[in-house]
Amino acid sequence: MNPPMVNTPFGPEDMARRRKRAIALALVLAGLVVLFFVTTVVRLGSDIAARSF
Amino acid sequence: MSDIQVDLAGRAEAALGGQGTVGDYFALLKPRVMSLVIFTALVGIVAAPGSIHPWIGAMALLAIAIGAGASGALNMWYDADIDALMRRTALRPVPRGAILPGEALGFGLTLAVGSILLLGVVVNWTAAALLAFTIAFYVLIYTMWLKRWTPHNIVIGGAAGAFPPMIGWASVTGSVDLGSIALFLIIFMWTPPHFWALALWRNVNADYTRAGVPMLPVVAGEGETRKQILIYSLLLIPVSLVPAMVGAGGWLYAVAATALTVIFLYCAWRVYRLREGPAAEAALKTLFKFSIAWLFLIYAALLAEHLLGLPAFAPVFG
Repeated sequence: MNPPMVNTPFGPEDMARRRKRAIALALVLAGLVVLFFVTTVVRLGSDIAARSF
Repeated sequence: MSDIQVDLAGRAEAALGGQGTVGDYFALLKPRVMSLVIFTALVGIVAAPGSIHPWIGAMALLAIAIGAGASGALNMWYDADIDALMRRTALRPVPRGAILPGEALGFGLTLAVGSILLLGVVVNWTAAALLAFTIAFYVLIYTMWLKRWTPHNIVIGGAAGAFPPMIGWASVTGSVDLGSIALFLIIFMWTPPHFWALALWRNVNADYTRAGVPMLPVVAGEGETRKQILIYSLLLIPVSLVPAMVGAGGWLYAVAATALTVIFLYCAWRVYRLREGPAAEAALKTLFKFSIAWLFLIYAALLAEHLLGLPAFAPVFG
């Protein structure tokens, strides 16, 4: 169990803003994972299909 | 003692950091400029000879858009001091205190490096080099140097906004060709009359004077600015037809470009002739609004021509 936050310079509104920013950043990172995966498939797809083994 | 004070000041500043909302960071990207960049880069991709996988093309657009956003963030980091002095920009996230200058700098640099690497690894390194040059040109040449030094700042600095279609084109061809230079020239020549019309219409001379930015209306006066608007508008006639001369445009484009640029010139002529009163203000407003429509429609004509598969003229040059 986490101890309650004391002596923090951030109030509830600041923490809510931070939380929204963290969620946005997480969504961006997840989006990048999807983008890079699809890009890898697109760039390598035809070569993989044409491999000799 | 002084070290402690400095340390405390640093801690206080750090405590104030991290207060920006998602919207504040989005505003750092200059989304309205970004939308223009995406559209013109898309036309560059479609108008370029050859083909690109739709997904790779979309990634190129994404990288170019992020690069444009990076330029905006770095511009707002460096210009925070003068932005705070002007009504139009005083509420931007950095002068408003929502985002610290260091946060804007870190955000901009991260996006700049990320967008260049993305374009280079996924698309090609010619396009990535052009994107790197565009960001460097906008931040180092325009923002840090020309903007505060010469009344021709918007003329030369406008080149930064003209590169996106060239980057889009290079994403397909891997090279810089006459066709992409033609697309560059259109935006390059369009920027000064567009921006000066806005500066005169919104009467921002007091703002620029207070901020010490030597914009043409401040340094040379309104009369000279109106003359320069007319001159650049005249130059748009041949420049707008260059795509048709280098094999990038055909009949549809040539007719649309001619008609649109004649209207542009008429608007500029009215700005030159009408100097005072509501009619003068209306003329400026009309020119500014039409200049936005002009750029959109002239690029849309090129886009439509290529999407419809209409043939381009045989190149006169190149």
